[in-house]
Amino acid sequence: MSYIHFPVLAVMLLFMGAFLTVVFGRHNQGVRVGICTVTSVGAFALIAALIKPVMLGGEVISYWMGNWSPVEGYAIGIGYEVDQLGLFFALLVVATVLLSAIYSIKYMENDSSLDFYYVLFQMLAGGVLGLVLTGDVFNMFIMIEIMTFSAVGLTAFRNHKWGAVEAAFKYLIIGSIGSSMVLFGVAILYAQCHTLNMAQLSSILSGNNSPATIMAFALMFTGLAVKAFIVPFHAPAADSYAAAPTSISMVFSGMVNKAGVYGMIRLVYIIFRAMDSSALQMLMVVFGCVTMFVGVTMALAQHDFKRLLAFHSISQIGYVITAAGLGTALGLTGGLFHAMNHTLFKGLLFLCAGAVLKQAGTTNLDQLGGLSKRMPKTTICFLVGAFSISGLPPFNGFASKWLIYQAAFAKAVESGKIIYAFVTVIAVIVSVMTLASFIKVTQAAFFGQLPARLNDVQEAPTLMLVPMWIMSILCVLSGIFYNVVDKYLLAPATDAAINVTNYIDTMMGGGYAAAAGVRNIAIAPAEFSYWNPILWLVLFIVVLAAAFIVMITGKSDRGEILCAETDVEDGKYATFFSGEHSLPSHVAGSDLFWGFKKDWKKYFHVIEGLHSGIVSDYALWAVAASAVIVIVMFGFMR
Amino acid sequence: MMIVNYVASVFLVVLGLYTIVTKKNIIKIVIGTGIVDYGINLFIVSIGFNDGGTAPIFKMSEILSGAYFVDPVPQALTLTSIVIGACVDAMALSLCIKLYKQYKTVNADEIRRLHG
Repeated sequence: MSYIHFPVLAVMLLFMGAFLTVVFGRHNQGVRVGICTVTSVGAFALIAALIKPVMLGGEVISYWMGNWSPVEGYAIGIGYEVDQLGLFFALLVVATVLLSAIYSIKYMENDSSLDFYYVLFQMLAGGVLGLVLTGDVFNMFIMIEIMTFSAVGLTAFRNHKWGAVEAAFKYLIIGSIGSSMVLFGVAILYAQCHTLNMAQLSSILSGNNSPATIMAFALMFTGLAVKAFIVPFHAPAADSYAAAPTSISMVFSGMVNKAGVYGMIRLVYIIFRAMDSSALQMLMVVFGCVTMFVGVTMALAQHDFKRLLAFHSISQIGYVITAAGLGTALGLTGGLFHAMNHTLFKGLLFLCAGAVLKQAGTTNLDQLGGLSKRMPKTTICFLVGAFSISGLPPFNGFASKWLIYQAAFAKAVESGKIIYAFVTVIAVIVSVMTLASFIKVTQAAFFGQLPARLNDVQEAPTLMLVPMWIMSILCVLSGIFYNVVDKYLLAPATDAAINVTNYIDTMMGGGYAAAAGVRNIAIAPAEFSYWNPILWLVLFIVVLAAAFIVMITGKSDRGEILCAETDVEDGKYATFFSGEHSLPSHVAGSDLFWGFKKDWKKYFHVIEGLHSGIVSDYALWAVAASAVIVIVMFGFMR
Repeated sequence: MMIVNYVASVFLVVLGLYTIVTKKNIIKIVIGTGIVDYGINLFIVSIGFNDGGTAPIFKMSEILSGAYFVDPVPQALTLTSIVIGACVDAMALSLCIKLYKQYKTVNADEIRRLHG
């Protein structure tokens, strides 16, 4: 039973690492890297050791700080509680932290003040890990604040650049609006229920909504939505992902916005158990669809590699919110699967962008090109990530998107509302636009002509390639062996979100949930019908083999290219063909989809105007959206 | 009268949000986030207050149904939240200094190089 201490130890280890870095790591890079490696590997090992009892054994771990266990049915201490849903997200967090820590060693080698970097990095990791493992809403607020602070600090890490400071300021203002809303919601909940424990709140709040708790729900929902960066709270995310060092951009898209998604799922499924409200389902699906669409169209308009990836990150979070908002077990499974896949492929893509930034010196797509000749390994990793995010079989993005399409259709059939079928249509269109956008990036950065000034670009160092290889392999494996992922990770997590009896009983004592009238619902296992990745893999190999055969059986002597006599000294008598001597004619990122952009000129004009870059405008969106959420909740959730 | 506290706290939160949305000076925007925090702190400390209540020092056996004391939990929450609010303000103001050095202005309308 010693593993009940593991969650707390993992969080403490990361915070202790931050502290020790301040004390001992001020001058010596080796000490800093050593501490960070020990803490990130240690946290990974501690959390991975919980897979066996929690995921396979179906156990829920509860841990009362200072052994302040509940007295007479009232939780008076701060409790940590690890159920399958929390552990699922905790695994994403520790994996991201470990890979990012490996990547940072080489990537950050030329920066100064690295002691601050490592302090903030471990604070961020500890904050997010604490957020997904805690069982106390106020503790959750504290962890959100630690997370936001360190994220803002890391965004502004390269503060000699104007973009970093500006993005950090916007992130801080919008983020603090979100945190304030969470805190207000927590305070109202405490006033109503006199407890801060999630399990006890869940049993008290089941079906007893008063106007005060609805207000609390709306405020906490808004606050966590700000942390998940769904539209219209997304604007600082695009800025800060692009401005932060790339190892941190990966952490942001891999776990910081997942923390917000986790908070929303925990809030709607477990604390309030409100997912049977059709108004809430509709609200989440609408928010999710808008997030998907705005994210991907804004990505099409970008010229900067990292900013484009940031908008895709927002768009993919839209998928997760939509799927979770369907309120069905199938939808939640798809959403969780997509959250996991997003961590893998978006992390991979950011790492590739970081490799390009470090080796080529820029992420401006109009200045890049032809890098596949100089950085072939990075190109392969990038292609795996691009195929995954665009949802091409047999990569993992396809499996999770397919589940989401299926879930939306099933929801339309089940509820009789035709609008859920359109969700599938929107999701497919967004997927196509994602593919288009990645064709543009691939063409602009990796294929085409190599500009002369990039001639001496080298392949990324091995220590940076290792995390990229690991993530590429995981992208392929989780796409092919989706059944294994579903059985050991997704199904337990979905079950934990929908059936909360075990969660409440473990924390508050046996029979507590039943006394409060909380019942379990049997859920059908998710079926990945109509699609078999092995067949797609075979098809993929057959097509490749056919192309290869065509290539090698073709005529090897292609004849000679007729050209003019060019060795004539003065060129006066040379045959004149046309134009000037071979100008570079690279198709840059902005040119590829000009027709589409022209057709949608009005839309792009409006949407780019809305992203005005002024922090008070973004705050206005946030406040207006929270007002809408409050009104919808009060109007329809009673 | 607790109702005055609640009305005042909601007023402070709304005032803070109004400041953030309408003011263009980034220092004033930071002050706005501070006002939101103070409003929430006032709200939290008010929900635990009982007029005439005693200090909350009891053994478990001494708590009877007639016990009348001030709830200690909101006070702990308020203290934590005040510390966090102070940190937010300090960090935001330090970012304002950096922004002024880079942009030579404190007008939010001119700090918009990242847009579109």
